[in-house]
Amino acid sequence: MKSGNLEIWRQGLWDNNPGLVQLLGLCPLLAVTGTAVNGLGLGLATLFVLVISNLAVSAMRGVIRPEIRIPVFVLVIATLVTVVDLVMQAWFSSLSQTLGIFIPLIVTNCTILGRAEAFASRRPIGDALVDGLAQGTGFAAVLIVLGAGRELIGHGTLMADAHLLLGDWAHTLEITFLPQQTGLLLAVLPPGAFIGLGLMVAARNRIIRSRAERTEAAAQTHPQAA
Amino acid sequence: MLKTLLTLGLIGLLAAALLSSVHLATRDRIASEQQRQALATLNQLVPESGYDNELIEDRFSAWISGLSSPSTIYRARMESEPVALLADVTTPDGYSGDIRLLVGIEPDGEVIGVRILEHRETPGLGDKIELKRTDWLRQFTGKSLGAPPAEAWAADRRGGAFDTLSSATITSAAVIGAVRNVLAWYSANRDNAFELEAQSSASSSGSEDKGKQ
Repeated sequence: MKSGNLEIWRQGLWDNNPGLVQLLGLCPLLAVTGTAVNGLGLGLATLFVLVISNLAVSAMRGVIRPEIRIPVFVLVIATLVTVVDLVMQAWFSSLSQTLGIFIPLIVTNCTILGRAEAFASRRPIGDALVDGLAQGTGFAAVLIVLGAGRELIGHGTLMADAHLLLGDWAHTLEITFLPQQTGLLLAVLPPGAFIGLGLMVAARNRIIRSRAERTEAAAQTHPQAA
Repeated sequence: MLKTLLTLGLIGLLAAALLSSVHLATRDRIASEQQRQALATLNQLVPESGYDNELIEDRFSAWISGLSSPSTIYRARMESEPVALLADVTTPDGYSGDIRLLVGIEPDGEVIGVRILEHRETPGLGDKIELKRTDWLRQFTGKSLGAPPAEAWAADRRGGAFDTLSSATITSAAVIGAVRNVLAWYSANRDNAFELEAQSSASSSGSEDKGKQ
């Protein structure tokens, strides 16, 4: 059980990362990663919806016939996102002003439908919970890294406007590297999102290949004698 | 087959029931939060101590040329004397569509200040109209339609008297033009702008009453 959970985390964070490997949820991923804080905001909201939808789908897996599973998943996800949106507007209105535009975008995130279909509908609730956390964290990590990179190159800052999301103490998180208006604008505009994500995917492939080469070299110098 | 249909229908009903109960549970709170936020925005331009009327209720709709219709005009008064006029207007001339802004005017036609309420301008360029990003928006404070003269109410990149945000001339011009249009409307309606009867809509007053503190 323990090693099973570890495997699910490995899948979500690296081996089968929704942003870098499955390339799911690109619409919200590319649209809002202009800054690290936006990435963090969408990442947290997606993580939350993903966990609940995985739990709900897993709980209903005994009742749902295969023919109607897709409409049911869509219904569950859309309902959950709307509930989250309404609750945030009512009780966390300042947070909802910052995150507000991201919430409806979560419906368009195929990661959530994908996990419901590929994982949650076949596994017990405990596994579905871990998978939701792992995939959501993996997605959020990609959002934050891409957002931070684009913000750093485009605006010359890091974690700007963090106080809108995390409260006033977060002003201390803001770092300015470049004087105003010297950033490379391309990074902030939509093409910058595609280029940035492409570089991240390439970097991941490079790491995997050099690791494979190293194991191969090790296998050749130390033939399996024993 | 029938059972499958029933399952789907039942889940649909459950979802509808959940949504409508959440909607009912949050409706009043959301309305009062929105009211509070609207008032907080208005109070950025006119401090709460500066007026004694029911600012949110003392409003009417106006059709201002060059702006999307109708605009909402709020009036602040102190002991029934006009203090300020706040125009919640939307200009269609932004680089990526509508820009919604709030323009505060003194009774003599001088701009108290301008706030951006909603926009979809380019991140890093046009979004510098937001006060939290740059001070560009502050240049309107104290200006009026005579100073600078009406023909100079344009971006300096286009021969006017106002700063242009670099690489965001269209955005800058849209905001400058919107403020100018509000001022032009006010100077044409100065005599009755504070006399018109308030027309806060009766249909939404139910939720608004609960929003009042």
